[in-house]
Amino acid sequence: MSQTAGVTSSPEGGTPAVRVHELTKRYGDVIACDGVSIELRCGEIHGVLGENGAGKSTLMKMLIGLVQPDQGTIAIRGRTVRIDDPRRAAELGIGMVHQHFSLVDELRVWENVVLGERGRLDPRAARQLVADIGERYGLTVDPNARVGDLSAGRRQRVEIVKCLRRDPSIVIFDEPTSVLTPGESEQLFDVLRLAVEREGKAVALVSHKLDEIRRATDVVTILRRGRVVDSMPTADAQANSLAQAMVGRPVSLRSEAAALGIAKANGEGRPSPLRNPPPSELRSTGSAGSASARKTSPALEIRGAVALRSDGSTMLDGVDIVVWPGEIVGVAGVEGNGQAELADVLANLLPLDRGTVVVSGHLVETGHAGVMGASGVALIPEDRHDAGCVLDLSVADNLHLSKLASGAGLGRIDRAQMRADAVRLIEEYGISCIGPDAPFRSLSGGNQQRVVLARELSSDPVVLVAAQPTRGLDVGAIEFMSDRLRATADAGVGVLLISSELEEILHLSDRIVVMHRGRIVGEVRSGEADIERIGLLMGGAVV
Amino acid sequence: MANELVNASALDVVTSGPGARTRFGRTAPLSDRALTVALYLVSIGLALLISGILVSATGGSATAVGGALLDGSVRSPGAWGLTLTTMAPLLLVAVGTIVATRAGLVNIGQEGQLLIGACFGAYLAVRLQGPGWLVIVASLVFAGVGGAMWAGIAAALRAWRNVPEVLTTLLLTFTAFPLMTYGLRQNWLIGDRDTSRVNHINSGEQIPFDARLPNVELFGNSIDSGVIIALAVAVAVTWMVTRSRLGARIDVLGLNPRAAQRFGIARRPVAAAVLVGSGFLAGAGGALLLHGGAAGDRLAFGYSGNFGWDGLLVALLARNRVLLAIPMAVVFAMLRTGSSFLASTGVDRKMTDVVQALLVLALLLPPAIIFLRDRRRELAGAKAAA
Amino acid sequence: MELFNALGDIFSSDALYVSAFQLSVLFLFAGAGEWVAERAGTLNISVEAMLLAGAFGAAAGHEIVAWSIAGLVGGCIAGLLIALIQANLSHRLTANQFVVGLALNVLVLGLTAFLATEIDLGPARAEVVSVPALSGIPLVGEALFARPWPAYFVYLLVPAVWWLVFRTRWGLEVRSVGENPQSADVSGIDVNARRRQAIMLCGLTCGFGGAFIVLGQVGQFQSSIINGRGFIAIAAVIFGGWTLRGTVIGCVLFGLVEALTLATPVQGYRIDPVILDVAPYVVAIAVVLLFATRVRQPRALAQPFVRGLT
Repeated sequence: MSQTAGVTSSPEGGTPAVRVHELTKRYGDVIACDGVSIELRCGEIHGVLGENGAGKSTLMKMLIGLVQPDQGTIAIRGRTVRIDDPRRAAELGIGMVHQHFSLVDELRVWENVVLGERGRLDPRAARQLVADIGERYGLTVDPNARVGDLSAGRRQRVEIVKCLRRDPSIVIFDEPTSVLTPGESEQLFDVLRLAVEREGKAVALVSHKLDEIRRATDVVTILRRGRVVDSMPTADAQANSLAQAMVGRPVSLRSEAAALGIAKANGEGRPSPLRNPPPSELRSTGSAGSASARKTSPALEIRGAVALRSDGSTMLDGVDIVVWPGEIVGVAGVEGNGQAELADVLANLLPLDRGTVVVSGHLVETGHAGVMGASGVALIPEDRHDAGCVLDLSVADNLHLSKLASGAGLGRIDRAQMRADAVRLIEEYGISCIGPDAPFRSLSGGNQQRVVLARELSSDPVVLVAAQPTRGLDVGAIEFMSDRLRATADAGVGVLLISSELEEILHLSDRIVVMHRGRIVGEVRSGEADIERIGLLMGGAVV
Repeated sequence: MANELVNASALDVVTSGPGARTRFGRTAPLSDRALTVALYLVSIGLALLISGILVSATGGSATAVGGALLDGSVRSPGAWGLTLTTMAPLLLVAVGTIVATRAGLVNIGQEGQLLIGACFGAYLAVRLQGPGWLVIVASLVFAGVGGAMWAGIAAALRAWRNVPEVLTTLLLTFTAFPLMTYGLRQNWLIGDRDTSRVNHINSGEQIPFDARLPNVELFGNSIDSGVIIALAVAVAVTWMVTRSRLGARIDVLGLNPRAAQRFGIARRPVAAAVLVGSGFLAGAGGALLLHGGAAGDRLAFGYSGNFGWDGLLVALLARNRVLLAIPMAVVFAMLRTGSSFLASTGVDRKMTDVVQALLVLALLLPPAIIFLRDRRRELAGAKAAA
Repeated sequence: MELFNALGDIFSSDALYVSAFQLSVLFLFAGAGEWVAERAGTLNISVEAMLLAGAFGAAAGHEIVAWSIAGLVGGCIAGLLIALIQANLSHRLTANQFVVGLALNVLVLGLTAFLATEIDLGPARAEVVSVPALSGIPLVGEALFARPWPAYFVYLLVPAVWWLVFRTRWGLEVRSVGENPQSADVSGIDVNARRRQAIMLCGLTCGFGGAFIVLGQVGQFQSSIINGRGFIAIAAVIFGGWTLRGTVIGCVLFGLVEALTLATPVQGYRIDPVILDVAPYVVAIAVVLLFATRVRQPRALAQPFVRGLT
């Protein structure tokens, strides 16, 4: 491991704020962290780069007290310590801005910020605290707002304020930009820079995105499969060598850019789709699956979709989307602007109050169980555990789910057939598991996603909706998924790709639409994609 | 404008934690199995010990009590028969509860459903003319319908307005008792049409003699046919739940309601149907009680006698496995029949309630301890989060 | 016409309001405690057991020391004991809270009935304390201001509970634990400890309530003294939409309805008792039905928490 060289001086002289030495954590046979050594210094933004599954998360969980290491030491300001729980970590001056799991939606901003402290509850002081920190770091947010009502970007602000209120000397940011527009990401990096330069903190930025690391950090450490591969000042790092260190093999920055988190330069995209007919009038044809129907009507047409909550507020505010067979339409936008609701409509989970959904020329009723699937809409859900699988059942059961609703209730399930089908799909999609009877729970994230994909594609769909399909996957799995999505589109299926990762959208889509506050606010062809403009649209600017 | 997102079952009580179902019974190593058995023995022993202390502390003899319980439940002539007869309604109620729980429902209204079922059954039994077996079958079905309707109220409220069934089934139980009292006083309902009887205001008409469930000779033993019925139902339901498509749909509904909706298992109708079905079985249990004679052959106030509550407990303790519910129901039945012999020892009958409750609590401990240990192991052995 | 006359007579008698108040006090003590427990995310079915234990404890306490305060203390201790079992089995050993609650109900019912036949528990009554001027108010004066002295604690109860849950750090943590235990855990809160404490609080208030019904109403212990009212308190919380205000309204409503049940025969009117008996429950169902869309339960209600799962 190369030494970190040329770093800015720290107030405490040469002692690093955090020195991790040979930290190891095993989960049964899997080694999540293998002898990781790393140093975080004050006045420095240290990037921790690695693909999903590399061990970054586990490392941070050990620093924040949620997980105990099996071997190795952690030294804070030169003193070896044991971090037993989050409270102890806070006492030691370590704070983390979490991706999830730290805010309680029903409580107000100020309540969330002081949650977990000790001492009397003082609402006025708490509100003042929120205002003060907001001002100091440029992160204003209304202390009295209910957190559940805030946008993803605002909620992150609350997370940051909550982290900073204890004035930690060491701050860890865990994949912070996944919920931000490009513009908001820039603002965030400004906050980081401020924390480090003006306040003298030691900041760690954990990410799987190359661009981010190169833009925002001073030093970078690359993790792969639980080990530190290399560590160097960011200025000295080449994109190519970083990528290779991250993945462990030579990479093509161009073709694997999305997986690596590299935003594309303009003009590079996939070749134009098979067909590009102008939007035509609806023609109601015979069976949905007939070849002529597929070619002459859009695979999916959503018009004026409106969905309201029980209190009257809007989730979807008049969404219009058209997807032609063979094309990939990317829905860009920050999480929380209606994407989840859109996917839910297409998953029978949410009925529309107004508007229509037409699949291959046939009007489909929303909100009724199983109807979308029967009409030919396949879905890879945003959170497969939510509505995409049943964790406690086997792989074979999960592969069979789409067929479960058809057939007589009191009929016997043909388990032999089910198994045979499962074996075939496991083979075809390269699902790594013990066998068809393996508990679904025991599969890795990438393999679980493969099961979902296998099941959805095996039903011969007309439309494939892919919501955040590569979230949490490692580079290899991302590659596989991207290839499959392309192949599916090439085979004539209309693909609707919903993703908050702009790189992915840019890389895969023929057409990009931007979603903001439940409506489509703009559309571009992939070839003409202008990241800045898209970013502004994502943030709600009228461009 | 029903546009709420389809949420997970509102009160996900028994589908998490130690009562949770997994399809995979792990084949545990021998040391684990031994530990499990040991844990059960220790906790049951503890429960019995505390019971014994209680008995002794209030002047009774623990051994006498134990002996009396055994006498009443199995040792004295005809005791086994009575115990099994008592077991049958418990089993039916438990089976119905298990199916409801598998679908993610929380039905705690068995007592009321059973009572209403018994009322329906009694109504028909004293009026229908025909051979005994016809009366019995018709009564069982009609009682089931009564229980189904009673649960159906809760199901309708849940489907229509999302009212949590834990609340409605509970409230409906309390409603059932006064309604029965009312019915007992009306001759055109379940009241005794023989007004010359002394106690006719408080109890119903005696069911015809030939409408009592006959005994069946099996392997030289005389077994109540009600038991056969209950076991047959248990087996049939087990098949349905493990092998049929409906069973698989119910499983998915209980394990992940949103996934169920996604894949075409209409959450509201299916859940409602299951709740109604569970009520049907509880109601039929009421008829079984009536025709089997375990609680007397005429209705009276409080006729359900906690059979409903006990059936619920049996299901919960059997961790929602029908095959485990059978021995559990036998144990509960043994405590009931055994308690009738306690009078001779001078110890109050309520003691068996105490013993039962202590046993229930004791039976909770081993799964909880094992669950905690398993989860700790699983955390260590699980794939690392990225 | 007859009906209106009847209602007029009933509602103009002091006795109705007295008994309504008495019953409401019982429901309020149980309901307020259960409300806290459910806000913490635990569905405490053992309210019935806690109330009954409180009643028994009061009678027992009074036997030992013949002061009514000893009865109150005894009741509270008994309630806390039951809560201790419920809390630790459910939220330390992760046993199914449902089964624990049901088992405790059966256990306490059997145990208290059994012990009551073995031990001789004499009468236990608390003195009536009248507030000078206020007790003279027509209709409700006696009901609200001339009651056995433990009853007056109910005026403190609701504001105290409100303050505890909404103005203290403990209350904030309890609420967070009921909504999102994962977040609370990550923020450094001991989730299961808060849940246990909430149950203990419920045990305390229920113990007090049970003691009150002995000391302030019936005057001695009977095994049928609670008779399902613990479940009504749970119903009150649910149909109050898990808000304190709703719970209070529910408890008062149930008290009133049950009092009507008792009052009408006394007044000599023969409304079929069945109607009166089912009235509280039907009212409860009707109210839940009407306000169902507003009902929003604590998100983590009845979901056990073990760190590292989900």
